[in-house]
Amino acid sequence: MYILAVVFWFFSFRKARGLSEKQIPLMASLTAMFFAAQMMNYPIVGGTTAHLLGGPILAITMGPYLGVISMTIILLIQALFFGDGGITTFGANVWNMGIVGTFVPFMIYRLTPHITSTQRGKFAGVFLGALMGDVLAALCAGLELGLSSTFPYGVPIAAAAMVTHHAIIGVGEGVITVGIILALQKARPDLLQLPKLAPSWLGGSWDDVK
Amino acid sequence: MSSKSLIAACIVLSLLFVTTGAVWFSYSAETLDEVAGQFGIVESRIWNPPFPDYEIPSLRGNVLAGIIVGFVFVMVILGVTFAVGRFLVRTSRM
Repeated sequence: MYILAVVFWFFSFRKARGLSEKQIPLMASLTAMFFAAQMMNYPIVGGTTAHLLGGPILAITMGPYLGVISMTIILLIQALFFGDGGITTFGANVWNMGIVGTFVPFMIYRLTPHITSTQRGKFAGVFLGALMGDVLAALCAGLELGLSSTFPYGVPIAAAAMVTHHAIIGVGEGVITVGIILALQKARPDLLQLPKLAPSWLGGSWDDVK
Repeated sequence: MSSKSLIAACIVLSLLFVTTGAVWFSYSAETLDEVAGQFGIVESRIWNPPFPDYEIPSLRGNVLAGIIVGFVFVMVILGVTFAVGRFLVRTSRM
């Protein structure tokens, strides 16, 4: 997992050099805000907890490369200062929340308007992207937990538990992501027009999504 | 809305999240840790963090201390991300 994370860090830092000065306040504000949001752990049935990720809004507003960098900052500070997530699991957490949790929402957000071209379709893509980002990140975590020798249950139980519970939080993540996009569209539409730092086949700005 | 207002709005929301997290969804009430303990899974650390479970070690269970720690680190992350962003913009000009 560390190796996969290193590969994505390499490409993210290289591609993120196209960052605009105007994007820095948005990147910093959202990163700080979702660090705070991750402090809210919601107890869910079966002894597990879930929390908002923040990856979807970071990826959709700025592109997944900046999303990876922002999520890495959050996860690194959580691991180093709070023992949350941990050092040995850092690579896995970056993969789950930083890479899957940013690239999946961004891909769905970019591809949904090809199915439906209305404004509602665009927001449906944002919601679905955030939901699926959380669910697939949780699925990855479930697979990793299930394959771990210290976890008493196998992959099916761990994966099912993680996916089911995080589907609930994914709905919340979707609503919050759509809410922030709507607020930005009203208050700072210029920030949504800036090019997203993403693989070229997924790039473009908010208005390019027709 | 200026960039300063955007940052101010996010700081206010962050304070709300930190307070809600510390008061109602405390990390110390981490049920996953409790269940893991019931199965005999013991946490082993290779690194001793200064604020384990978002608390000041000498003030464990103190909600206000948890809020202050959370808020201070919101500001730290704001600063670190700004610095990383500026670094990326500067290196792109080279």
